[in-house]
Amino acid sequence: MKSRNLLKFGLIAAAALMVFGCGSGDASSSASSTTPTTAPAAEGKKLKIGVSIPSADHGWTGGVKYWAEQEMKNHPEIEWVYQTADNPAKQNESLDAMLAQKIDGLVILAHASEPLTPKAKELHDAGVFIVNVDRGFTEPIADIFLAGDNKAFGRISAEFIAKQLNGKGNVLILEGVACNVNTDRVEGAKEIWAKNPGIKVLDSQQADWNMQKAFEKMQTMLVKHKEVNAIWAADDDMALGAEKALKEAGRDKNIFILGGAGMKDIVKRVMDGDPMFPGDVTYPPSMIAQGIKLAVETMKGKTKEELKARKPTNETVKIELIEKANAKDFYFPDSIY
Amino acid sequence: MKFLSNNKALVALAALYIIYVLIDILHWKQGLPMNPQNLRNILSQTSYTGIIAVGMTLVIIGGGIDLSVGSLMGLLGVLSILALNKPSGEPLQTIAAIVVAIGAGALIGFANGVIITWGKIAPFVATLAGLVGFRSLALALTDARSLTATSKEVFPGLAQGGIPIPGAFDAAGRPLLAQWPIFICIAVAAVGSWILNRSVYGRRLIAVGANETAAIYSGIRANQIRVISYTFLGLCTGIVAVLQGSRLTGADPASLGQNVELDAIAAVVIGGTSLSGGKGQVWATVVGVLILGLIGNMLTISNINNNWQGCVKGVIILLAVLIQRGQKSTS
Repeated sequence: MKSRNLLKFGLIAAAALMVFGCGSGDASSSASSTTPTTAPAAEGKKLKIGVSIPSADHGWTGGVKYWAEQEMKNHPEIEWVYQTADNPAKQNESLDAMLAQKIDGLVILAHASEPLTPKAKELHDAGVFIVNVDRGFTEPIADIFLAGDNKAFGRISAEFIAKQLNGKGNVLILEGVACNVNTDRVEGAKEIWAKNPGIKVLDSQQADWNMQKAFEKMQTMLVKHKEVNAIWAADDDMALGAEKALKEAGRDKNIFILGGAGMKDIVKRVMDGDPMFPGDVTYPPSMIAQGIKLAVETMKGKTKEELKARKPTNETVKIELIEKANAKDFYFPDSIY
Repeated sequence: MKFLSNNKALVALAALYIIYVLIDILHWKQGLPMNPQNLRNILSQTSYTGIIAVGMTLVIIGGGIDLSVGSLMGLLGVLSILALNKPSGEPLQTIAAIVVAIGAGALIGFANGVIITWGKIAPFVATLAGLVGFRSLALALTDARSLTATSKEVFPGLAQGGIPIPGAFDAAGRPLLAQWPIFICIAVAAVGSWILNRSVYGRRLIAVGANETAAIYSGIRANQIRVISYTFLGLCTGIVAVLQGSRLTGADPASLGQNVELDAIAAVVIGGTSLSGGKGQVWATVVGVLILGLIGNMLTISNINNNWQGCVKGVIILLAVLIQRGQKSTS
């Protein structure tokens, strides 16, 4: 019996070794040290930078993952420590692990602001240079803050709808998962609805950034509301679900949808002049690549003291309206999103 | 009275529907509970969960549980679209998509069963591993990209086509369709119900779920019986994966099938099937799915704040279960 247990243990250990052996092999080929020989030997030690982002659980975060991995490949001179996390608690844990690995810098797209702020502060106090992308911390911890502006997202897309409808018409709304991103987008849009008394928001339902849910909620809303002129969706995944419901119900005439975040399928249709999608709003997942690049450019060749003396800077990722005329500037056929 | 006490889930559904009618008459004044399009939507939306819930009923009656079906559906959806998008021409592509999803579903269900029975790993744990693992496989296979079906005619017809409902038309004047998934769900439920109540296998499954040791002593191969129930559930999951792929003309590895396991288990429980096994009915589960669908529909139509809807849903589920209990003690 005992020897059998030993055998089992051995098997499990061997399997674990294989799995994790492969895993770390992959990581190093995609991220960290593909080119140890060609690395410029200006300094004795490679810079070690952590990258912490949410796991790819829908289209947009899939895009973030894609752009992060692309940009890390562009900088083989850096030793990358790369982690994705399912939720804020996991992201906290991965930051702990990065601290233990003694990273010099951190590029982070936080799951949520509040739960990550104390941990980010801890890293910053330990001398880690922090580049924060998209969502800000509740305290000014970041050395570089590259802010996404979800309120502007909501405002710009709602303004477009109001203009398109000449200030008069009925609108249905599809919201994402209840969280800061969604609240900011919806609030941004509300500011515009308030300024346009002719625009009536008939209904607003939550579809969790999910195409199938958006489809089903829209099916139900369409039965209830006979006169609808436009649909405002908090992202492009849900916009596609809404379109399917419109088509299925035979209501796809004289109506248009405005999603957002610049999914390539939607941008393509804006470019082609599809009446269902007259426009879109950018919220580029490539902002993570911009953050990684900023981190590398700022940190390279500087000592810890120099970095510490540097004044924190803020930049905002520009949120832009995509229309037929400029759509080709936002269409990346090879992008994942 | 006997009919009612034997069909407590139906009583809960009827009660809910009457409440719906009353609220509509007094408050919304839109005739929604009788609107053919709305009713059709409820049926078509619930048919997907329904098919999985039928398989789940058998697994739970056999004393098991399967938490992996949602993730498995994501994985099978991805595999199915990958098979579909091989340029073999129609209708070969669609056949490939169906065979791959249902075949792989049955195979993985079988593997789940083997791990649980002969591997002696508790169903909760074994399928929890599947819940995590299958989703990750789906993401890895696609690099987290959502896939679009290249077949524009035959494949989308599987879930989007159907039989015209007499006298009902949509806004564009086309006849309103009762889509195929509704009928497939009814067929799967009929098969499941036959297996459970009329076949030798069904009797044995109930015996294993009620008391495994006694069943083994009376000569039933309990492991084999339970493996078959997981295989059947895997097969059901495959059917739904194909249908969802057809309905959404593609598969998103991250969101396809998310939380389906919870809805399916909830439907089984609302239908009165005992979570400890040995007792339950397939038709009652179908009623349970309809109850969940009706709740969802009412909440979407109501003007209840989005953040509160989950709370209301939870309370109604508890009430539905209580109605069942109440019926039992009074009859």
